[in-house]
Amino acid sequence: MKKILLVGKPNCGKSLLFNQLTGLRQKVANYPGVTVEIKSGKMGDYEVVDFPGTYSLNTLSIDEQVAVDQLTSRIKDEETELVVCVLDATRLERSLVFALQAQQLAIKANKPIVFVLNFIDELKRFGHDLDIEALSIDLGAPVYALSARSLDGISEFKDSLLSAAHKHFTPHSPIAHLETTKEFVDFSRKLAKAYAINKDVVLKNQNKVDTFLLNSFLGGFAFLAIMFVLFQSIFTWATPLMDGVETIIASFAGFVTQFTGEGVVTDFLNDAIFGGVGSFLVFVPQIMVLTFVIGLLEDSGYLARAALICHKPLSYFGLSGRSFIPYLSGHACAIPAIMAARTIESPRKRLITMLTIPLMSCSARLPVYALLVSVFIPSDQYFLGFFNMQGVTFFGLYMIGIVTALIVSAVLSHSKATEQEKSEMPFIIELPSYRLPHWKPLYHRIINSGVQFIKRAGPIIFMVAVGIWVLGYFPMGASLEDSWLGTIGHFIEPVFAPLGLDWRYGIAILMSFLAREVFVGALGTLYGMEGADENIAGLAQNIMNDGLPLGTGIGLLLFYVVALQCVATVATLKAETGNGKLAWGLYVAYAILAYILAFLANTFI
Amino acid sequence: MTLWDLNKGETANVSHLCEHLDDSVSTRLVEMGFEADQSITCLRRSLFAGPLVVQVGDCVYSLEQTVAEQIFISTK
Repeated sequence: MKKILLVGKPNCGKSLLFNQLTGLRQKVANYPGVTVEIKSGKMGDYEVVDFPGTYSLNTLSIDEQVAVDQLTSRIKDEETELVVCVLDATRLERSLVFALQAQQLAIKANKPIVFVLNFIDELKRFGHDLDIEALSIDLGAPVYALSARSLDGISEFKDSLLSAAHKHFTPHSPIAHLETTKEFVDFSRKLAKAYAINKDVVLKNQNKVDTFLLNSFLGGFAFLAIMFVLFQSIFTWATPLMDGVETIIASFAGFVTQFTGEGVVTDFLNDAIFGGVGSFLVFVPQIMVLTFVIGLLEDSGYLARAALICHKPLSYFGLSGRSFIPYLSGHACAIPAIMAARTIESPRKRLITMLTIPLMSCSARLPVYALLVSVFIPSDQYFLGFFNMQGVTFFGLYMIGIVTALIVSAVLSHSKATEQEKSEMPFIIELPSYRLPHWKPLYHRIINSGVQFIKRAGPIIFMVAVGIWVLGYFPMGASLEDSWLGTIGHFIEPVFAPLGLDWRYGIAILMSFLAREVFVGALGTLYGMEGADENIAGLAQNIMNDGLPLGTGIGLLLFYVVALQCVATVATLKAETGNGKLAWGLYVAYAILAYILAFLANTFI
Repeated sequence: MTLWDLNKGETANVSHLCEHLDDSVSTRLVEMGFEADQSITCLRRSLFAGPLVVQVGDCVYSLEQTVAEQIFISTK
């Protein structure tokens, strides 16, 4: 299939343009070991390939390296018909530096290039008239002015791509041959002087908002408020969705089992499939809500400000402001977060960030938290009469994770630096314009997060649920206590007795060392098998009826905050650090710390 | 005088980058607009010597002390 490569600098609105061109179906290719995502979607007979935003072809981090390597190799591909380079019309000078480099690259590969001047609606609003024809002559390539947001000029652009209009373009004069950084920078500056809008006009609004959001006091307050709303939303917005999924699973279970009648098949479907796997699926909406909120922050431009605000405080713990984004994504999943740490240029800060990311409460912990919080905290209680108490508890659990991570970072940063770690890279970050996020890229992100989560965790949860069910169901006719599973459980019970937990929890915790989200599924299967009726929903109710002391519950929560129960994370850490001992050592160390905390909570609360 | 000495609201011109900077870092700085004669305005200083915010050309960046001290400037 003929391919069109889409490139541009970060924050130039490229991903929205990609979504507007390709519609709602797209493929995401993840490159092992990095956060580099190369998306592709269909447009007529073409496949549009969206590359990550890059500042320059001269790379600083490993992430950029992978993206640039991919671009330089794919541009030579025979199937590649055209390169589309997106420019931010409001930041012409900076967009052009990369654009000119991309143009030289395209010329070397003997591929045509066209330029897109995005955000043309903003330019019009500011009353700036850009001479597109003249710019096109100077660049020696077609230039299309459009706005991916307001759709101005989109259909015309699409038509000209589909009809390969670029083939009829002949440059007026030979294209400037540029090679050194100085030449690229100087030419961009010259073009910007001739065509760009007065920068102060564009930056006025952004700087006005920043006087508030970056203010030492108000900005700090706004930051905390935004983070608090983030955690509230994970709980409150997701609840109706989760109830919906639960109802669907329950009615589907009822529908299916009416055909299977009484017996082993029905028991299996009810307890292992709908009870075990189903109780895990219920939490997918929550993961999607978290992705949505983080996506909102990123697309609005606030995330860069958050990194700036956090830089100084984080530096006291041996971290960088850039650690903030991996830490924040660590609340969705540790694996992409550890990979996102690649954007931290300082090797030492990068290592410390990676080692502490597993303490962030990832979405796999959400099911565990949600279950236990709903057992212990009444849903109708309000903190200060306004904040839902369950939301406040959630916030507290997340904070405990963050504080523990900071303490561990501080301890690690006092260890001696190796020679290789001494080369420090500075903290520089661009503050993009504030923009209202568009639903299309967000929609893809949210769907992708849910799909990825099910794909990654689904198979293991299925196997564990089936495994537990088999062990607990046989020998035929025996009660759960006397089953194979009960026997194993009683054997390991002494280990968990100091934590105040019985054998069922022991089994669930042991299983969750593979992946922590297994806990709820495992417990769901266990309780489901114990209950004589076909009670699929309401695991929380079952635990409540069983009576679990508060101290034990808090201990169990703390255990899940700290323990690194995820084999996939250990594997990622091993790959990223190149040190297997370190990764498995961390696994054991966090388990011991978790056990101690749970023991203390159970004993003293 | 370095960029770190620039007070809020002041404008200066970039003169040169410290030659001890890593090549890849100074290349990136130049590409970001920190090149000779480019005008630079300090928009914001943070408490406790936190990163400063500057406007260079059409972009706004935040830089920490260690790198701001490697960018030399001259006031008009």
